[in-house]
Amino acid sequence: MAIVLEDVTKIYNPGQPNEVHAVKGVSLRIGKNEVVILKGPSGSGKTSLLSIIGCMSRPTSGRVLVNGRDVAKLPERFLTEIRRQRCGFIFQQFNLLRGITVKENIMLPLYPAGVSLGEIKRRTEEVMDLLQISHRANFRVEQLSGGEQQRVAIARALVNDPEIVLADEPTAHLDTHLSEEFLRMISEIKGAGKTVVIATHDPLVYESSLVDRVIHMRDGIILEEGQ
Amino acid sequence: MRRHLFILEFALSGLCRRRYKNLALLVAYSLLIFIISSILFLTHALKREAELLLQSSPEITVQRLMAGRHALVPVDWVDTIVSIPGVIDASPRYWGYYYDPFTGANFTVLGVRSSEFPLKGREDLDPEDCLIGSGVSETGLLRTGDSLVMVDPEGIARPFRVAGVFSTSSSILTNDLVVLKEETIKRFFQIPEGYAVDLVVRVANPSEIDTIAKKIKEKIPSSRPITRTEILRTYESLFDWRSGMVLSMFIGALLAFFIFAWDKATGLSAEERREIGVLKAIGWDSSDIMEMKFWEGLVLSSLAYLTGTITGFVHVFMLGAPLLESALKGWSVLFPSLKLRPVIEVYQLMVLLFLTVVPYMAATIAPSWKAAMTDPEEVIRS
Repeated sequence: MAIVLEDVTKIYNPGQPNEVHAVKGVSLRIGKNEVVILKGPSGSGKTSLLSIIGCMSRPTSGRVLVNGRDVAKLPERFLTEIRRQRCGFIFQQFNLLRGITVKENIMLPLYPAGVSLGEIKRRTEEVMDLLQISHRANFRVEQLSGGEQQRVAIARALVNDPEIVLADEPTAHLDTHLSEEFLRMISEIKGAGKTVVIATHDPLVYESSLVDRVIHMRDGIILEEGQ
Repeated sequence: MRRHLFILEFALSGLCRRRYKNLALLVAYSLLIFIISSILFLTHALKREAELLLQSSPEITVQRLMAGRHALVPVDWVDTIVSIPGVIDASPRYWGYYYDPFTGANFTVLGVRSSEFPLKGREDLDPEDCLIGSGVSETGLLRTGDSLVMVDPEGIARPFRVAGVFSTSSSILTNDLVVLKEETIKRFFQIPEGYAVDLVVRVANPSEIDTIAKKIKEKIPSSRPITRTEILRTYESLFDWRSGMVLSMFIGALLAFFIFAWDKATGLSAEERREIGVLKAIGWDSSDIMEMKFWEGLVLSSLAYLTGTITGFVHVFMLGAPLLESALKGWSVLFPSLKLRPVIEVYQLMVLLFLTVVPYMAATIAPSWKAAMTDPEEVIRS
């Protein structure tokens, strides 16, 4: 899936005293099977840009082309469709639903997809095996360690077989060992032909050899792009 | 269909996940519905009893007023009344109240002519026989063949053999009734010859009742004709007023509930907002989230509705409404105690539904809709 951003801006609370210009005229192209890093300090606009790339948020102005189609002004249900079919998200704090099991958390993206229960189970078991968390399938997520929770979050992001995986500060709450483990999993995701976009300021991630491109952001603009 | 089932299943699991919060809400909600349903059921059942009572009452009852007070009616008024066109029949009635000092109960004592209350296997009541209502039977622990002892105005205890216990379609009609032979009651209450307590008038055409009542008043100025509709109206306004009074007592509770429900619903917790944002981010549509919230609200409010209504029914019709009895039955406390016949109308259930389930559903869905329409990123950030 190719994503092109053209002169994208994002303003929160426009016209109000607390107006924030999070993204300022960013243009960017993300190709298929790339691992792209959005790097920058807190408040640099990388999470906002990640949200726009993943159709979780609309830009205030500019165009967002997904496979050549401008999605910025599409009705909400089309954006939902894109998120459901093409995107997988890994949130900074994992954002797993407490009180339900690992398996149920992973199944969640498939519920509105209209697939059969058998298919839901099959896909769920597949990603649990891939991420080696099958033994924890019936545990509630709050009973898991941080590393295990992250695996669940990745499994949930992969269960609908997305073309692009987006991760927001995925290693912020992980120690070095688990961060390296995360990179290993990203390597496998890349190996499966998927595109990966990661917003981070963790050197362990953006200096990794599996990264194709690093986009350095500050104050809502792209300072530089490097290979 | 499959998708809706998954969403329903997830909604139910959502209720279980926040089980303590939802359980507290369910208890408060059920309690409120229990109170409102009890008031509605009791008021309606009492009104129904009154209607049944009046169905069997005469179209016109004629009393006599003397110095602004009720007085015994001369029986010869019957001839004057019968001469009015449209009147089929007029007859004297002998009745009164008897306070039983042993049980503390008030009985209504009624005199009947021969064969007005035929008994199985017998043609008439004996002068020393009586028929009693179920309330009298329970209060005095009396069965057929026992003796009911009543003290006459001269202080003499007079035993009456119980010849039978009433069972009629209306409990209120016969509950506190003691039936004696007409001659016996006249003697017992010392009613002078040629007088009756009141007169009952039967009219050929029900639409002429008011006109005939007016004519009776014209012909006998000291009379006081009371029509059946007047009595019914009095009963209805009395019960409506009383139920309104009790309902107003619970307005505070009602308001408290709405604040609770509104707070629960509008004040989506940070956790709930986050959940909505997460679900949207992973591909749930706004309509899926609304559907989930709809099921949550529907299950909770329906459960509370069922629990509250059923407990209200049991409270009123099986336990005799001990929590509301004194407030609703009022100054004329019905003693012997009255067991109401279960009467429930779809209308009442619908009123309850609209008073409770509908506002809750609206209060639940509105804020969820607002959250569901926001970009998922904003929901997660907030």
